[in-house]
Amino acid sequence: MNELKEISQHVVEVARSAGADDVVAEAIVTEVKQVRFSNSQVDAVNSWSEEHLALLVAIGKKVISSDIRTLTDLDPHARALVSLAKKVPPSKTYEGVAPGRFKYRRNPVDGRIVKLRDPSRFVHEAIAGAEGFGANNVGGTFYAIHERVGLASSGGAVGADESTAADLSVRAFSQPEASGHAVCCTPTLTGMEAKKTGERAGEFASHARDPVMGEQGKFDLIVDPLFLGSFIQSTSSMLSAMRVEISNSMYAKKIGKRVASDEVTFIDDPTIRSTTRRAFDHEGVPTRRNVLIKDGILKTYLHNTGTAKRFKTKTTANAGPLIPSAYGSAAQPMAFHPVVVPGDWNKDELIADTKRGLYINNTWYTRYQNYSTGEFSTIPRDAILRVENGEIVGAVKNIRISDNMMNFWKSIDALSRKAQDIYWWEEAAPPSTLPTVRAKQMTITRSA
Amino acid sequence: MIDEDLAEYMLDAASKHTPVLAEVRLESTRCTQLALKAGQVDTIASSQDAGMNVKIFFASGVGFSSSNVVSKAEGLRLVRQAVSQAKSARRKSPCTLSAEKAVRTSWEVRQKKSLADVTTEEKLDYLRSLDSAALKTGVKVQGRYYDLKDWETTRFFGNSEGSRIKSFIPRMKVESYNLVSAKGETEQSMREWGGSGGWELKDEWNLLEVLPDEMRMLKKQIEHGKRVKPGKCDLVCGSEVTGIAAHESCGHPMEGDRIQGREMSQAGRSFISEDMIGQRLGSKYATVIDDPGIPGSYGYYAYDEEGVKARPRYLYKEGLINEFLHNRETGSKMGLVSNGSSRAESYLREPIVRMGNTFVAPGDFEEDELFGTVKDGVLMNSFTEWNIDDKRYNQKYVSREAYFIKDGELAGPARKCTIEITTPAFWSAIDAVTKKVRFDAAECGKGDPGQGMSVFTGGPMLRLRGVSLR
Repeated sequence: MNELKEISQHVVEVARSAGADDVVAEAIVTEVKQVRFSNSQVDAVNSWSEEHLALLVAIGKKVISSDIRTLTDLDPHARALVSLAKKVPPSKTYEGVAPGRFKYRRNPVDGRIVKLRDPSRFVHEAIAGAEGFGANNVGGTFYAIHERVGLASSGGAVGADESTAADLSVRAFSQPEASGHAVCCTPTLTGMEAKKTGERAGEFASHARDPVMGEQGKFDLIVDPLFLGSFIQSTSSMLSAMRVEISNSMYAKKIGKRVASDEVTFIDDPTIRSTTRRAFDHEGVPTRRNVLIKDGILKTYLHNTGTAKRFKTKTTANAGPLIPSAYGSAAQPMAFHPVVVPGDWNKDELIADTKRGLYINNTWYTRYQNYSTGEFSTIPRDAILRVENGEIVGAVKNIRISDNMMNFWKSIDALSRKAQDIYWWEEAAPPSTLPTVRAKQMTITRSA
Repeated sequence: MIDEDLAEYMLDAASKHTPVLAEVRLESTRCTQLALKAGQVDTIASSQDAGMNVKIFFASGVGFSSSNVVSKAEGLRLVRQAVSQAKSARRKSPCTLSAEKAVRTSWEVRQKKSLADVTTEEKLDYLRSLDSAALKTGVKVQGRYYDLKDWETTRFFGNSEGSRIKSFIPRMKVESYNLVSAKGETEQSMREWGGSGGWELKDEWNLLEVLPDEMRMLKKQIEHGKRVKPGKCDLVCGSEVTGIAAHESCGHPMEGDRIQGREMSQAGRSFISEDMIGQRLGSKYATVIDDPGIPGSYGYYAYDEEGVKARPRYLYKEGLINEFLHNRETGSKMGLVSNGSSRAESYLREPIVRMGNTFVAPGDFEEDELFGTVKDGVLMNSFTEWNIDDKRYNQKYVSREAYFIKDGELAGPARKCTIEITTPAFWSAIDAVTKKVRFDAAECGKGDPGQGMSVFTGGPMLRLRGVSLR
């Protein structure tokens, strides 16, 4: 880790000597092992190794970033980027890098994940767990991830960080249209409950047997943490100040206003033990617990140094990667580990208290007509269980939730006391800690 | 520069383990990304990437290992790792591959004006001109975000059967996000243009006219658009809607790996099963083709990631389920050969079954003929919200641009017209198809980790009779 920190410090010095005013360098080494399985057997065992340096340099307001895909012989790359920076036009909205020398927490890592040679055994345990509950076809993914980071900036930040993660996703089928999905996300291998995760998926698949066509209309929805994870993805993204700046968010001009029911408190907390715990953001600012929505009232957006200055506030230490993604800027503010604060219900009470509703295991393909107003639809998948007069009375299929995301958050009237760490594929992301929640009177539609 | 000797060294090392097949890929990519936010330079990024991977097939399993460190030592490590991983899989049913002939060739996409020769300032000027054009319309555009990405990829593929393929492909795309407001309401537009080729691609896109037209259209939708009275009527789909339906409800459910269950816990399975080849799914006008070979297309490739020559695949043919998309593994499971559908986002990820350019085949109607017999209907030119379930059976499209059709004539704008329909119902309702095919660029998502893939979606205009709209 110190080696990565030294590499970043050295690159900052080289870029500064070449004429850069501001520099942020982040050296990243990632090792990933993956087992993909379907039809109750392993399809492929994959691994990938990446080492690279994300580098941002600025001369005045002339800013450029680069993903340098090596960690050796970096000096020429750094000098070349500074030369390029001299030629690019200024970005009037550039506000500099975070100043200050910071102290960081040390994150514990699990050496067993780092050294894991054959992750297939977790997959076999998960398959057996699901089959024990009647599943006849099981698929999913197991990941073991080890990431090391060294960061330095001309503002004075110098730090190193390291994390490990073991992520298991299991989807079990008991019939072609009856499935259940469960995940286990843990920073330590001892937290990997492969068999139990398979059992949960299998149990859902068992409940989902013989689904009938779902009805249109208004239903109370009790949604599993996995389902909520999909909504967290777009919701947390719209809390980014960058999305607000381009009117691509239903949270624009809503600070201090009600954006959820008073049952909802929504936090970004990369300081808790999780697979996405991190010591600093991508500008080197120490991460912290940020209350974004408290008792339903919007308190702050997610900020980096630049957006914070433009919004006349302080950074929330949520600067994202220095290399932009589609529709995203370099260091675009992003949530690292969303948390919805649990309530005081248990799952059985939620069901017993619901007269006409649906218990939904998972969803995908959440898409918006208009991010600034929040109209969306999403397609529930896996177990969709009909609740009548406090009891589960059967399973349904082929429905869609077509409503408004602000309305969803405002309609939540009950949250479970138990929360779960969630991460699944590209849908339930970023990794989050979420309870089961109930949203009243949401609109269900289906194909005509 | 690609080190072909390194590939040979890795293939030799892999062959010593006597796999069913060993594949090696080396890749190098130069990339530039620029973004303009509300008229201001927001992002300038430039990168150069290189890396390699090894894929090993034994009867008992498959191992894939990749790295962005390019050296002999790393190559040897990747081979050993992939072999070890493949052996650890311990599959119940043996892994088999279709027999394909070895190919030694090279292919490239030529550029009239090389992307690497266009300066950052020139590219930013182009984005600025788009922003200015949008502003000059006088339409209130609350949100304005434009980004441009161009990248050139050089690849070398070799396998233990003797294939050796070199390739070079440059691609460019522009994405726009706009939020138009009028009368206290807003409409959103998120669009993409992409292709394979050089800087000349932007001339074909004609965005200096297309984007201002989009702003004016959205303003009209807000100011004059009326909601559709829910019920059954005729629907004419513009090529953008035709294209998304072809991609989502034909291309995806016809992917061999999805049908065989390999994507079951991510993108899902398919309502189509292996034994449904030849079954009727749509009307005789429903012919959907996936053709990676369209020159200049965003999804272009000449040979796939397993060295199989690309060719047009007739997925639905005159309404019948005709041919699935296959790689060597999925094809072999059905006793077939690959039809060249293996693609990967980069050297870091395992190649999987993907679409190239998916579109509905043209018919024989002129566009204005399509409305003539429509007494009461809607033309849905483009869409905003869309989705489909993971078995690809229930799809929904909400219009971005739509118009009423009354007695064979286009009437005023129809706002947020929604169709929610099953896949067989959509393809069975078609009774007329126009001659002219148009394409849109898109990023197709699939795989775990997700691999964004450049594709075209497209087709002619379609007329659907008696479908439910709201």
